[in-house]
Amino acid sequence: MGDLLREPLTWGHALIFAAAAILLMGIVLGFVTYAIYFERKVIGWMQLRVGPNRVGPFGLLQTVADVLKLLLKEDTIPRKADRVLFVLAPVLAFVPAFAVLAVIPYTQSLYFADLNVGVLYYVALSGISTLAIVLGGWASNNKYALLGGMRSAAQMISYEVPLVISIVGTVMLSGSMNLRTIVEAQSGGWFWNWHFLPQFIGFGVFMIAAVSELNRTPFDLPEAESELVAGYHVEYSGFRFAFFMLTEYVYVYAIAALTTVLFLGGWHAPAPFLAVVPGLIWFILKFACIVFFLFWLRATFPRVRVDQLMGFGWKVLLPLAIVNVFVTAGYIELFIKH
Amino acid sequence: MKGLFKGLAVTLKSMTAKKVTISYPDEPLIMPDRFRGIQHFIPDKCIVCNQCVRVCPTDCITLTGKPNPDPEKKGKVIDTYDINFEICILCDLCTEVCPTEAIVMTGNFELSAYSRDDLFKDKEWLTANDRLVRKDNNNIGAPVKGGGK
Repeated sequence: MGDLLREPLTWGHALIFAAAAILLMGIVLGFVTYAIYFERKVIGWMQLRVGPNRVGPFGLLQTVADVLKLLLKEDTIPRKADRVLFVLAPVLAFVPAFAVLAVIPYTQSLYFADLNVGVLYYVALSGISTLAIVLGGWASNNKYALLGGMRSAAQMISYEVPLVISIVGTVMLSGSMNLRTIVEAQSGGWFWNWHFLPQFIGFGVFMIAAVSELNRTPFDLPEAESELVAGYHVEYSGFRFAFFMLTEYVYVYAIAALTTVLFLGGWHAPAPFLAVVPGLIWFILKFACIVFFLFWLRATFPRVRVDQLMGFGWKVLLPLAIVNVFVTAGYIELFIKH
Repeated sequence: MKGLFKGLAVTLKSMTAKKVTISYPDEPLIMPDRFRGIQHFIPDKCIVCNQCVRVCPTDCITLTGKPNPDPEKKGKVIDTYDINFEICILCDLCTEVCPTEAIVMTGNFELSAYSRDDLFKDKEWLTANDRLVRKDNNNIGAPVKGGGK
């Protein structure tokens, strides 16, 4: 992929890129389908239930049936809604969610775009989804949707700051914003070479801020159904609602992949003698662990209050992230700098 | 902070714990023996003493008797025996009071029907309802067969 990207663009190359993007889209859709199934299963097990098991063997076709139902539903647009924005918002939410996947490297050779500012690209694009959520909330002309949208804006903006700053430590240790170089900087054979141990503060802040960025429990205030009906997507139904759902789960994919790359050593094996197992398997394993962790959190924690959320973001996570940057800088200055 | 990890441990443990889900409509639910389900009626045992009708708190039982077809024998035999399950509260009093255990409880409870007419159960239906009949009919204090001598 890397060599292809450096060559001049021909029709053949463009075709290959398009095919690769479609393949990734298929993989992501498959992931989303089974992430939802797996989430419902895990939460079911944790609540002493068995989870979906009626549609298909072991309920494997449950999500397929749900999506089919969503697509068959009537597509409603409220009469007083801002039609253009209402239609635009789900698309605007999904496009950056898919676009950020371009910079994720899966193995040494399997990646889509080798950006020198990969981290920055990810963070910048994922910010656009916030805009889409606010837009959807506003365009619905519904008080709950608007409240959900405003909450989402407040939350995502205040958690994006610690999220970005918690990555800074990792970037400093690797000396690059290129995600592939960051993974390379974590090589060394053993799992203690991965960034999550030397950057444990950064890792903790990153995980918490990431959950908040994903609008997932315990930070799912934008769609707190007990107070806001459903939040920003109250007025959405059918296909457009499916797009918001899809966006949410594609971001789960993106964040899990990003965490794997930034903190868990990407495709590197945890020990030298395990290096015989292909890197992609290690990537998928770490990725699956993070996805499971997100579901586990959702099954365990109640939703935080809105004032606690803001206070936690600005008064705890942000200072911690900044302290992490300074500690990392001091460490590099004293011990690593030659 | 410690509580958060405790909570995570609890959910992780319950993930592999035994599930409480039962596959009820697929597999019939066997109720305990003392369950008060739809009554089973045994016409041959009934002596038409009318006690169940009198004790019924909701007046849902109606019965009629007829003279014993065998002229040698005294007394009556049951002719019709109906329970209206629209108002029966399954209180167990009719089965408790029955001196011959002609009416007994079963473990069956599936009474839902599309028509209210279906809830009016006659003698034939109640006789046919012979599955999961209560085994111990609580005849404490009642004279044992051949007892009282």
